[in-house]
Amino acid sequence: MILTLFWAFPIVGALFTLFSPAFNLRARWISLICAAMELYLVLEAGTGFWGGHLASLSEPGKILTYGISYSFSMDGLSWLLCLLNAFLTLIALLSSWKQDLSAGFWASFLFLEGAVMGVFLAQDLFFFYIFWEAMLIPMFFIIGLWGSENRVHAAIKFFLFTFFGSLFLLLGILALVVFHHQTTGAWSWDMNILRAPESGLYAILTFAAFVVGFGVKIPLVPIHTWLPDAHTEAPAAGSIILAGVLLKVGVYGFLRVLLPAFPNWGMKALPWLGGLAAINVIYGALSAMAQMDLKRLIAYSSIAHLGFCVLGIASRTAQGLAGGSLQLINHGLTTGALFLMVGFLYERTHKRGLADFGDLVSQAPLLTFFFGVTVFASIGLPGLNGFVGEFMSLSGMAKVSLPIAVVGVFGVTIAAFYLLPAFQAVFLGERKPASVSSRVFDLDFREQALLWLLIVPMIAIGLHPGPLLNIVGPAVGKLIL
Amino acid sequence: MNPAALFLRLAPMGSGISLFCGVLGVAFAGIFKKINSGLIRALGLLSLALAAAFVFAQPANGSISALLQADPMTKAWCGVFYAGALPFLIAGTWEDEVPALLLLGSLLGMTLLAFSANLLMLFISLELLSLPVYLLVALTPAKGRPKGLSFGCPSWEAAIKYFFAGSVSAAFFLLGLACHYSATGGFAFAGNGSFLDQTAFTLMAVAALFKIGAAPWHFWLPDVYEAAEPMLSGFLSTSVKAAGVFMLMRLGQYSQASFISLLPAIGALTMIVAALAALNQTRLQRLLAYSSLGHAGVLVLGVGAWLLLGASEKNALPIFFYLFSYVFMSNGAFFFLELTGVSEWRDLRGLGKTRPVLAFCFAALALSLAGIPPTAGFLAKFLVFWQVFKAGLYVPLIAASLATLAALVYYLRIIREMYLEEGVATSKIEAGTGMVRLIVTLSAAYSAVVGFLPWILSAFQRVLG
Repeated sequence: MILTLFWAFPIVGALFTLFSPAFNLRARWISLICAAMELYLVLEAGTGFWGGHLASLSEPGKILTYGISYSFSMDGLSWLLCLLNAFLTLIALLSSWKQDLSAGFWASFLFLEGAVMGVFLAQDLFFFYIFWEAMLIPMFFIIGLWGSENRVHAAIKFFLFTFFGSLFLLLGILALVVFHHQTTGAWSWDMNILRAPESGLYAILTFAAFVVGFGVKIPLVPIHTWLPDAHTEAPAAGSIILAGVLLKVGVYGFLRVLLPAFPNWGMKALPWLGGLAAINVIYGALSAMAQMDLKRLIAYSSIAHLGFCVLGIASRTAQGLAGGSLQLINHGLTTGALFLMVGFLYERTHKRGLADFGDLVSQAPLLTFFFGVTVFASIGLPGLNGFVGEFMSLSGMAKVSLPIAVVGVFGVTIAAFYLLPAFQAVFLGERKPASVSSRVFDLDFREQALLWLLIVPMIAIGLHPGPLLNIVGPAVGKLIL
Repeated sequence: MNPAALFLRLAPMGSGISLFCGVLGVAFAGIFKKINSGLIRALGLLSLALAAAFVFAQPANGSISALLQADPMTKAWCGVFYAGALPFLIAGTWEDEVPALLLLGSLLGMTLLAFSANLLMLFISLELLSLPVYLLVALTPAKGRPKGLSFGCPSWEAAIKYFFAGSVSAAFFLLGLACHYSATGGFAFAGNGSFLDQTAFTLMAVAALFKIGAAPWHFWLPDVYEAAEPMLSGFLSTSVKAAGVFMLMRLGQYSQASFISLLPAIGALTMIVAALAALNQTRLQRLLAYSSLGHAGVLVLGVGAWLLLGASEKNALPIFFYLFSYVFMSNGAFFFLELTGVSEWRDLRGLGKTRPVLAFCFAALALSLAGIPPTAGFLAKFLVFWQVFKAGLYVPLIAASLATLAALVYYLRIIREMYLEEGVATSKIEAGTGMVRLIVTLSAAYSAVVGFLPWILSAFQRVLG
């Protein structure tokens, strides 16, 4: 029951929030209370994962019809991602606290939270797909209604691109289900038992369908073009969720659906997945270097960082899988924080170009401090969280394919080349003639508190990643080749 | 024969007799000049309810007489026919007895179609259901359009077009029937597999595809659906289309003729044509007509897969559920046009702010028509696509998926105009009557909620045995 509550509670909360103005209630307070209660629920349910007392938490499945069963389960990885989701939703809601927004805005985030919870918990591919698609509609409205100038275009592009991917995902799911029926005579949608054929065209097409289906969300490079637009036009809170949570579901799909369905494809799939990941790392980093808009820059850096996650899990080694999964959490924290701070800048000045600022350190030293720490975490400085994930992913990959790992290492280096100059230009450098830096005032208490909430885990994971690795390690252990 | 025995003899035909009595009742009310909307509605509802009761009390065990039979599909499809006509019947304004009479007459034809046990009966009931529909199109034009039977009225023109398309399809059917007779020496559904008989079934299937409006026999459809009153278009796109689908299924089910292998391609082609043609439309009713064409494509594709998988009644669930859900989605969307009187894109602008509830209903219907989870439309499309996958029709399935994606562009535009675009429509949104509003709301509720409840499928499965 508790797992049903995980996804149902935010959705019911979203309905309450939506209709709260009719009862003269403050929508933002309702949404905040719901998000906080959800976070508490997730924390409370998962305490057993700390220290490894609990391997997984599941609800007995109930077969409905056609083998579709209502079954949910949570292991360490799911729990961490649910926790990230609940935590970042709370941060996102609070980040827009001072803006005058209608009830729909607050409700959308809760609805989105519930749908993402469903994706992380569902064991049945039918429900997985329903939740997967249910994420689309609230995000479409968040971008399209509350975004910046070019929002409608970005929202439509986002919807069409992701729907395109979803169709392939659906084809892949149907392929697995039908193949299972052909071999066993039974209908099942359980992602834990569905397997693709060992070889042949059918298997290759199924594999490709899943790579496209999940790849649109990650996003993998040729099908990534929706992401910079969506990130740039979304409101700050939307970008936090989009980068922090929604990009994770693609990699999660790789871990939970694609790799288990092809248990013996490790070496066969490696050049493809690893190659795509390496392209992501390099392409994302190079594109980020060329950006003059802070949000676009961070968006492209997300593409590069998600490349590291895929790189790690494609290696199918213990370090790689654990590092790639950990990197999901890390990216959620750092990129969430970066988008949050760009959002603060945008709230103050309605600008976000690199050329619009300069010498912010004299105006806003606290913001500079937080931004600096986050940038270093994002680059992967030892002692901060990014280092652990990237190092483990790369060392895992180095065990199986040195060339791909070397390409990845170059990606780490390039990260310094786009993030540090951006940091320098905005916070440290000369004040440009057209700069609006003088309009920037430093962080207030709420903003500082939000950033501390994000930065403390970054440092903690960087210094002592053990507990988290102990949680994700067993969850991805069966994928090790 | 005592009355009880007579009743038992007549009970299998009870549904037809009820509807026929409904027709007579409405006609007599007209003769005695007792016309008012309430009376006609009551008579129509009463006969429809009786007919439905008779259909569902009917055991689904095969032959009733030489001309009639009943199987699970008969019952299921009668349900779809009645459900599709119900909104029009209860929400229409019946100032005149003739349209109501035609509607009930057409339903009588549909009932006989579902019960028919041989090809001759199938043909007669096809004509019985079609002829009233042509006249209905002529007599109930969209609001603000000239009314009457004269050239120059769009509805009259559309009716003539519909009539000619229907006549051509009837000619195809008769030709096929003649070939079938000369090949087998009878009118039974079962074919003998000879080349002549294969040709016969192909010709008859073309007639059914005409009725459904599958490409390349779709040219009449947008004009007709646009010229008619939106409520009538709702009826045309649900009950009448379901009748065409039923015909196609019956023809394929017994004959296993070679035309079956063409159906998936025709279905995918219809979806592509509909999606591409709809992109350029500016008038919403025409847009919904093309949307309906796209759904016809899904249905033809689904029928093809169903026939390839052995055409068992149990497997008809995806098509049955699709049609049943489409009754809500299509009627809801057309009734929304009726309710608000919007006709073009710009009339929708800003509706999300000025009329939040109405806009939400239309958004839910549009998403359901597009097949986005978690709506009823998704569940329906998903089941059909699954069956298509099972039948191994990968290429048509991929084409259909891409057409779904292309169609999403215009469905999203509905949402975009209502919620995302700046500005508010200048034209006045009409309030509409309570009944129409109720139907829009209920349809939207069905579309939004059923996707969350896949277990209701077992209830549908039970109807099909």
